[in-house]
Parts: sequence; C-alpha cells; structure tokens
Amino acid sequence: MTDTALEAAGLGRRYGRRRADRWALRDCSFRLPAARVCAVVGPNGAGKSTLLALAAGLLPATEGTVTVLGATPAAARHRIGYVAQAKPLYPQLSVADTLAMGADLNPGHWDAATAARVVSDGDLDPRTRVRTLSGGQRTRVALALALGKRPELLLLDEPMADLDPLARHELMGTLMAQAARHGTTIVMSSHVVAELEGSCDHLLLLRGGRIGLAGEIDDLLAAHRRVSGPADTVLDGHQVVESRTTGRQLTALLRPAGPLPAALTGAPPTLEELVLAHLRGPQDPAASPAASQKATA
Amino acid sequence: MTTATAPVTGALTAPHRLRWLLRLHRPALYVWTAAVVVLTAALLWLGGPLTDAAVHAWRQYDVCRTGATCVYDQDAILRYKDVYQYTTWAVLALPFLVAAWAGAALTGREVESGTAHLAWTQGVSPARWLAAKLAAPAAVAAAGTAVLVALHRWAWLADHGGIDTAKSWSSFETYYANGPLPVALALAGLAAGALAGLATGRALAALAWGMSATLALWGAVHLAAPRLYPAVTRTAGLDHDGPVGSGIVLDSGIVTADGRHLPDPFCGSSAYSTCQALYERIDAVGFFSVYHPRSHYWPLQLLATAPVLAAAALLALAAFVLLRRRTQGKAATA
Repeated sequence: MTDTALEAAGLGRRYGRRRADRWALRDCSFRLPAARVCAVVGPNGAGKSTLLALAAGLLPATEGTVTVLGATPAAARHRIGYVAQAKPLYPQLSVADTLAMGADLNPGHWDAATAARVVSDGDLDPRTRVRTLSGGQRTRVALALALGKRPELLLLDEPMADLDPLARHELMGTLMAQAARHGTTIVMSSHVVAELEGSCDHLLLLRGGRIGLAGEIDDLLAAHRRVSGPADTVLDGHQVVESRTTGRQLTALLRPAGPLPAALTGAPPTLEELVLAHLRGPQDPAASPAASQKATA
Repeated sequence: MTTATAPVTGALTAPHRLRWLLRLHRPALYVWTAAVVVLTAALLWLGGPLTDAAVHAWRQYDVCRTGATCVYDQDAILRYKDVYQYTTWAVLALPFLVAAWAGAALTGREVESGTAHLAWTQGVSPARWLAAKLAAPAAVAAAGTAVLVALHRWAWLADHGGIDTAKSWSSFETYYANGPLPVALALAGLAAGALAGLATGRALAALAWGMSATLALWGAVHLAAPRLYPAVTRTAGLDHDGPVGSGIVLDSGIVTADGRHLPDPFCGSSAYSTCQALYERIDAVGFFSVYHPRSHYWPLQLLATAPVLAAAALLALAAFVLLRRRTQGKAATA
C-alpha cells in the first residue's frame, strides 16, 4: 500500500481547444498522504470539480499528471469511490436495484453490508424509486454506492450541498465512521468552510484554477497568526495574507517569518478565517503551495 | 488488499454486466420483444390465412372474367394488400427504432444526466461499459430483425403467383424488406445512435442524429448498389409498347440510328401512326433499357449490406475512440 493517496504534478486541464483562457486548472502540484480527510475549498469555478473528475479518471489531463494510490486514475478505478456534484443516479431504478447495480459493476470487491447499512441508516425503504427521493436521500444512496466499493480513496464533489443541517450532520457522521474504520482517504470539495471544520485534517485551497494553500490544517493554522495592533505597525518580512486598517487599528492575517513586532497581539486563526483571508487576499505567488506544501509533505 | 481483484477478466464479469444492462433497459427490451412478437404474428397471418383467402378470391375473379356470374371476395384481396403494406413498412422501420433508442436511451441520456460518469466510476472501465452497451443490444436487434425479414420473405413468396396485384420483387419496400439490409441497418443504427449519444451528450439530439445517419446510409446504398453491379442492357424494336425488361431499371428510352440514347417520349408502339411519325422525326430505331433482372437480386443485396455492415463497424470503432479520448486523452488513443 502506498502512503500517498493523491498526487498531482503540474496538473492542468483546459476546456475547448483554441482559447487559451479556458484553463479550469493550471500548474497544480500537491501531495495528499493516505488516510487523511482532505477538504478542497474555493469559490465556485475555482476548479474543484475538475480536479476531482481528473482524479476519478473521468477527464484526461491537458498537461501534467495526477497519480491516484500510486497508479493512473484509470488503473486505480476499482479502488476509488466518486460521487459527482449532481449525484447522478438512474431515476427509474429502486434503491435496492441501484445497490444491485453496484454489486454487478464491482464484482469481487463489493461490500453489500456496508452499502445496505448506509441506506438503512437513513430510514430509506429499499423499494423506493430513486426519482422520488429527496436531495438528502439521493446523496445517501450515491454515498452508499461509493462506499459499497470499499474504496481506498473517496472523492466527493460538494457532497453536502443542498442538504439540511441534520442530514449534513448524519452523512458527515457516516463518512467519518468509514474513514475511522477502514482508513479510507476522503477528499471532499465544498464552498462552505464551516461544514468541514472539525472533520478534515488536510486542506487544499483552490483559487482561479491554481492552488492557493495546501497542507495539514493543524500546521497551517499554527503557521498563521491573526493579529491586531496600531495602524502604523510595520509588517515587512512577514508574509501578509490579508490586512485591513480601520481608523488607527490594523488587523491582519499573516504567516510570520520570525518574531512579530511587540505592538501586535495575536492568536492562531480559525480555519474559516484562514480560508477566507486567502480567498480575499491578493493572489500572491509567494503564498502559493510550492513552499508550504513541500514543508508538510 | 483490494488490488488482488484488479485483473478481473471480461469472461468473469460479463454476466454481471449483462444483468445490470438488462435491468437498466428492461422497458426497451419489453417494447422490442412486443414489436417482434406482434409483427411475427402479423406476418404469419399474412403468409397463411390472408394469402390463402386472397388467392382464392383471385381465382373467383378470374372466373368472373370469362363466366357470367361475378362473385368474388374483394375484401380478402384488400385485406391482404393492407396488411402486406403495414407489415412491410413496419419491418423497414425497425432499424430506425433501434437507432432512435440507441441515441436517446443507450448513451445520450446517460451522458446528459451524468449517469455515464456514475457507471465509469464503478469497477468497470468506460470501454467495457460501451462494449456491453453495444454487444448485447446488437445481438437482440440483429436477431429480431433477421427473424422478421425472413418471415417477410416467406409471406411474400406464399402466394406462388396466385395474387395478381402482389408486389413485384423489385418494388422499393418489398425489395428491401425481403433482404438482409434491414439487419445491417439495425446494427449501423445502433452504432450511429451510440456514437451520437456520446458525441452530443444530449438524448434528443442523438436520437435525431442516429435516425438521420441510418437514413443517410440507406439512401447511399440505395443509390450506389445498383450502379456498382453490371446491369443488363436490352434493346427492342419500336413495335413494342415501350422499353423491354422489368426489374430495377436504371435507364431506359430510345436508341437512335447513330446509337445515341434519348429519353422515352412515352408514346407507345410504332403501330400507332402518330408514334411512327414521332419516331421517324427523331430518327429512332428501337427501345433500350438498362436494368437489373431478378437474377441480380442477391448480388445487389450483398452489395448494399456489406458497406452498411462496414459502416456499422466503423461507427462503433469511432464511439470507442471518442470515449477513450474523453476519459483518457489523446495519448492513450495512440
């Protein structure tokens, strides 16, 4: 077993052939160790879905490579679980038929008990037609199909979108139990950072098709400071992610390069503060992953 | 470790894939089976009781022509003609039904709704997915069409010349419904629909493309096949009513003294003085006809069927190449 779940090297994907400005993903390099729960965050259109589809072997890379569990996505197909954002399912099939399809299409590595449990945990009658399911129930069935494969890597594209808070909580519980029981690596994208806090231990921040930040969340939080102090404080030498001056008061989120000026008071940011600061701040090449991701790799 | 199951062989997983395919397209299989059963019954009825009744009615009619009494079962003759027309066109429509379904339901809707991605992220590669989606329906479509074409041929031959108004071997719909072309067209329609579904990713557009491609293929071989096989040229004197030689006529008209071919003025025999004058004015010496007699039936059918089968194979290949490019890129197709 390889200890790297997902690795990208110079990965890029362009849609269309002629126009060079349609890069959905560009110069993407990172390494995700196995047995992590990784959040892929970024605004809409940042390339999250493209990255997950590339890893799932549904799209070819325009440039660079993506390695999944030490193999190409196509070779690792039977070891990956993938749930697309729209949770596509065959509407005419019943829930039980859908799981039977999973068994037929995954011969030799189908865990019927797990799939059935994920469905029954949601109080779903297996005879129900997929077309009559609610959004949360659909997600549950799609997840059951993905988990029934006993994947080593689970790729989830916006799994919690359009779910009510209770359903989110339940499904996140199901996922975390799976990760804990089988050591499954989970990569899930989201634009709602709050729902990932406390569940994820690795972060991949995408912005405009490029990686803005990557690493273990604890390391990233420890490496940053949310500080405030007098407006005339000099922050030179530190990597300022975002700063704001209100009257005579300066607040900033930065990555200290050494001891901070004594005038500043600060504490590690929350994950949400860190992500928002990186998404709002200027797109700084120096803050891009090359440095940070090598440190955590 | 699950890697142990990686090299799953096609033979081992084929029944599984077949069961999944069957479950997914069960309604379509029911509709197809119903269509084949109904048409089979109609053709058996046509070739049996309806033909017998019509032949009997024609015998009565022939007596009418000479005898004084005139009672014949006209309804039986008309019923035979109606059922013959309906069943013939129904047999010819089958390839279009297959093409429409292949484009819309087999691949188009799957790509449109994203369920294709769902299937490709199971343990089955996209190429295997497409192979299953083409092979099983191809077998079902070819078997159904072949049975109906054979039955149609049997029903058409059942009157043994006893029905004067029975369609000739060379009339358009009879010519095609009696031969192997609908089977080849059904296979080509399946491949064309599947390719269109993958290419457009839209069910309705793929339905239209699949049917159009099938129609275009048919039109192409309809025009090309009679011209690829050497036709018979027959000349006849002007005392005939017109050009001689029946079958699939490619060209016919008037031959002049200097050997030129002119279009038939449709005047008739030179026994009529007006026609005689006309023929003298244009210096005509006889009628000519370039045509395929009945003995050319099988060579012509094979000349039409073989290119359509080749097109079906190319369309299927194109679908595989397209799918591979979509999911693995150009490097993988080399």
